[in-house]
Amino acid sequence: MEIPYVVTPRKDTGLFNSKIAIWLFLASEVMLFGGLFSGYVFLRMGADYPWPERTLPILPGLLNTFILIGSSVTVVFAWAALKMRNWMRFKIFMAITVLCAVTFMIFKGIEYNVKFHHQAVRLKDYTVLEGHLGKEMENDKPVLDHNGKEIEENTIRVKADSLTFNTVRFYKPWVEEALSEAKHRGSKVTLASDVEAVTEEGKGKQTIAKAGTPLSVDLLEEIAEVHLDARGHNADLRTAALKAEWKKAKQDNPGSKGWQLAANVSIDTEALNPRLLTEIGTVKFNVEPPCRLDFKPRHIQEGEGSSRLRDDTVVTGELLESPMVFHNIDAIDFTYLAMKAVERGVDPEVAIENSWVIQNKKWAREAWEWNKAQTAKLEDRLLKDYGVDRETGKPKREPTAKERYRIGWKEFVAMTDGADRGEGKTFLKEEFVGPDYAGREAKHTFPHAEIPREQVAFASKFTPSWNTYYAIYFTITGLHGLHVIGGALVLCYYLLFCRKMYLENPEWLANRVEVAGLFWHFVDLVWIFAFPIFYLM
Amino acid sequence: MSAHASSHSGHDAHADHHDHHDPGFLRKYVFSTDHKMIGIQYGITAMLFLAFGFFLMMVMRWSIAYPHEPLPGWMSWVFTENWKARWLVDGKVTGETYNMFGAMHGTIMVFLGIVPLGFGAFGNYVTPLQIGAPDMAFPRLNMASYWIYLLGGLVMCASFFMESGAAKSGWTNYSPLAGFADGQVVNQFMAGQTQWLIGLVLLITSSLLGSVNFITTIINLRARGLTWMRMPFFVWSMLVTGFLLLLAFPPLEAAGIMQLMDRVTHSSFFLPTGLFTKSEGLAEISGGGSPLLYQHLFWFLGHPEVYVLLLPAFACVAEIIPANTRKPLWGYKSMVYSVLVLGFLSFIVWAHHMYMTGMGAAVSTFFQTTTVLISVPSVIILTAMLISLWGGSIRFNPAMLWACAFIPMFGIGGLTGLPLAFNLADLHLHDTYYVIGHFHYVVAPGILFAFFGGVIHWYPKITGRYMSRTLNHLHFWPSLVCMNIIFFPMLLQGMAGFHRRWYNGGDGYLDKATALKGDGPNVFANTVAQHIDMNILMSMGAWTLALAQIPFIINLFISWKAGKKAESDNPWHATTLEWATPTPPGHGNFTTEPAVYRGPYEYSRPDHADDYLPQWIEPKEKAPKKTESHPA
Repeated sequence: MEIPYVVTPRKDTGLFNSKIAIWLFLASEVMLFGGLFSGYVFLRMGADYPWPERTLPILPGLLNTFILIGSSVTVVFAWAALKMRNWMRFKIFMAITVLCAVTFMIFKGIEYNVKFHHQAVRLKDYTVLEGHLGKEMENDKPVLDHNGKEIEENTIRVKADSLTFNTVRFYKPWVEEALSEAKHRGSKVTLASDVEAVTEEGKGKQTIAKAGTPLSVDLLEEIAEVHLDARGHNADLRTAALKAEWKKAKQDNPGSKGWQLAANVSIDTEALNPRLLTEIGTVKFNVEPPCRLDFKPRHIQEGEGSSRLRDDTVVTGELLESPMVFHNIDAIDFTYLAMKAVERGVDPEVAIENSWVIQNKKWAREAWEWNKAQTAKLEDRLLKDYGVDRETGKPKREPTAKERYRIGWKEFVAMTDGADRGEGKTFLKEEFVGPDYAGREAKHTFPHAEIPREQVAFASKFTPSWNTYYAIYFTITGLHGLHVIGGALVLCYYLLFCRKMYLENPEWLANRVEVAGLFWHFVDLVWIFAFPIFYLM
Repeated sequence: MSAHASSHSGHDAHADHHDHHDPGFLRKYVFSTDHKMIGIQYGITAMLFLAFGFFLMMVMRWSIAYPHEPLPGWMSWVFTENWKARWLVDGKVTGETYNMFGAMHGTIMVFLGIVPLGFGAFGNYVTPLQIGAPDMAFPRLNMASYWIYLLGGLVMCASFFMESGAAKSGWTNYSPLAGFADGQVVNQFMAGQTQWLIGLVLLITSSLLGSVNFITTIINLRARGLTWMRMPFFVWSMLVTGFLLLLAFPPLEAAGIMQLMDRVTHSSFFLPTGLFTKSEGLAEISGGGSPLLYQHLFWFLGHPEVYVLLLPAFACVAEIIPANTRKPLWGYKSMVYSVLVLGFLSFIVWAHHMYMTGMGAAVSTFFQTTTVLISVPSVIILTAMLISLWGGSIRFNPAMLWACAFIPMFGIGGLTGLPLAFNLADLHLHDTYYVIGHFHYVVAPGILFAFFGGVIHWYPKITGRYMSRTLNHLHFWPSLVCMNIIFFPMLLQGMAGFHRRWYNGGDGYLDKATALKGDGPNVFANTVAQHIDMNILMSMGAWTLALAQIPFIINLFISWKAGKKAESDNPWHATTLEWATPTPPGHGNFTTEPAVYRGPYEYSRPDHADDYLPQWIEPKEKAPKKTESHPA
């Protein structure tokens, strides 16, 4: 059996099979990215925070645009070379195409990597600070955690004196983590009291583990097993008892409806209790001496005296100071604060003056004063350049909210250089990876700061969790990146492994390259939409 | 009787074919690239999933009818002791368990049962045969599509065994409810909600591969002479279904990816600012997302999905009716145009599921209008099928019985949908049992009945044997009765205000002191008291319906080996191309290159002695020499 129209087009439709298929596939892709792009529109229109405009470095994005457009051209040349049966030429152009894809992904990787290490924090008063988290230091040396890694200062610290695990839900890696952290700090985690349980019906209590047994996952699993056995056994007994009660109730009250009897049908607990096995829902361990344990903010619901982890482990002990320490702050953003002030009917400038960071940090006040002066200068210039609207009497153009209320790293650079906004000197590399902190350190361009935990409303790296802009940015560009990788792999396959096919049936290979080329054009097209909406608008 | 004669040569060629290259057991039955084997794989897998979804429903119906009583042994023996201890309280179904079963019942029935059965099984088996193609355009893609579907289904169902349990936020998986469910699980990849999303992405990938394959096959692999207007209605339906799957599923994939991001990377696509939950307090998320966006993306799929379910059923019925009335399908052309319009309109009605979201009167009015419009083409198709019966000499064989039952049952389902289309009426009926009754009438006694008919209709082609008539009747009549016992009271309960997600059937709303008299001060409690006893009737109906499926299951397997042998390759004396193949068709389907000379439903032509004239029979006026290749 042979499938027709694999290589030659069908006469009445004028198409070979895979060409129809790729157009259909692209239609489906249009709907997929259409869904995501309409998600972008929906999120942007409905955003209740200042949508970050022109926030990404434009240069790498622009270069990527040209690279991808270029590769769309070379893939056509490669196809044309095949049509002309020129293998060498095909190889050259295909190699260029694949190289373009690789370069694209490298730029993308750099862009992502910068964001994964860049920290932002939103304070309770809606001030947003950006920068890099410091490492915990002691005597000018970084403190190492139990894994031998430096401790980044966004952890909630508890001086734990006991840990109570949920026997069903405890999360093994966390248990091991806590154990090794305690060991690192010279503490022992041991069972607080004897674990005793009735494990067989009709028999007395048995000791499962003695008080003082050190914590281990094996021990927890052993206890969990006892618990699960008992739970199952008891559930069976209770079910059987309830069934018997219902049978009796129905016999005694013929014609009654279920809901009428329900209130009076219940298990005879006194008769049943002696037969039940012991369920051990939680098990408590002491930490001796009490020691500091670090938790990621998302994993813990902290409380005075007692905190709860996501896996239902309860940590008791004093909550330690857990400030977020930035070793360089590269942006102070008051746009969100200003927006909230306007919503409340407060003058944004007043609200900013009253903000925690201006009240408490000298560097913030200095930067804000500098920025205000710059804004005044800008207002003057705009008034001079564009004049006043005759009807309203107001200036035709005014500084944007971003210009007024956001002090970014370029502003910090300009400020220390003594230059005006937008005139500070930056290096090409900085356009890709952000400010060169080490190189500029001598001038103290970027302030250090300690943010007490009670001021922190929400903190995140510049990852999808920071806000919906970064969420949709990573989703669309990430999915697009996967398309680039997938397409490049296919093109690579044609480049490296299709010599035999070329010799046997060059037209078939040309068809394949044509189809892959169409896909490649689509990948390019998606980027043509993604670039302006994320980088320019 | 050229149609019969051709079968002999067909059998011989078929036997030869096997001798030449036997592909081996694995290649032939498991990793097959033959569209017929893949169709059968789809069919069997889908039926297993349907049975599983049915079982979940039986447990739910127990909870509704007897909320205070432990699950009886004949249902609970399936579960392990540990599972029962985790998910049942004293043997009673809990609200959480009910939610889990409800969500998975819907998901399994829609995504893993009906779609694969209609599009995957019937579409795969019949479409290439009906257009005279040797196979699908991309056989290996076809195989991949099946395996990805199976993987997706298993991933979704595997989560029943996890500590978190399976997804439990309804089959629609609305955020923020779904965004927070299972949030306590540290490793999100081991949470039922996440597994649901991963399974969904896999299923969408599978249906994407399937639909690309179907459409390409129909466009490019039609036999010589099979012009567009000579295509059987079945093929048209599959073509439109393919386009719906192709274009409607990706937005849900986008939504699925976004929700997956919300779960795994803690983004806030669908989570608004200031979310507060009892267990977590103020959520540690950025907020700023839009729950409404999820609903838009979901229903942009969700509504075309309804027609993805429905069109294959139309397709089966449209083949069964002409073959058994011995007259052409009435209004073939208008049916074709209707199905195209239906396909188009189904893309612009989605927000009628969202009248209650407060998206605004103007938007609601627009979607109300398009929704009413879409009833026009569906009614044209249904009417055409009804009129097709008129004046026919109907053979009431089992397939025809199912097809005939489909028409009124689907009719009830469709008509009960009209009040839901109007946003004013929907305010009252939204999320009540009326909605459940409405769409179950469409899907269960509607679509499934058509599929049962389809199984019986094509069974002789697939196996070479008829299904047992007696068992078919034993299956059909109780099913018809039970379906109505289950679903009709739902309409009444729904109008009385019974909410679709009550796990205890309304027990919580009863005023126990006055319920028997029904004259207490709480008016709603009185209404509930009047309707609550229907729950028991409906549940009984559901369990009896399960019994009624046993003859079908027996029939399906017994008749495979022991059924009455089909006398010829065309036992129903039908006209479309699938009956021109040997029985069962070998790899490559046709023994000679098929050609088509006329429309699909040429029954009882006055100028022809037989009461049917198949598409592949060459016109008599052609030179007699040519007929030798088609032995006459």
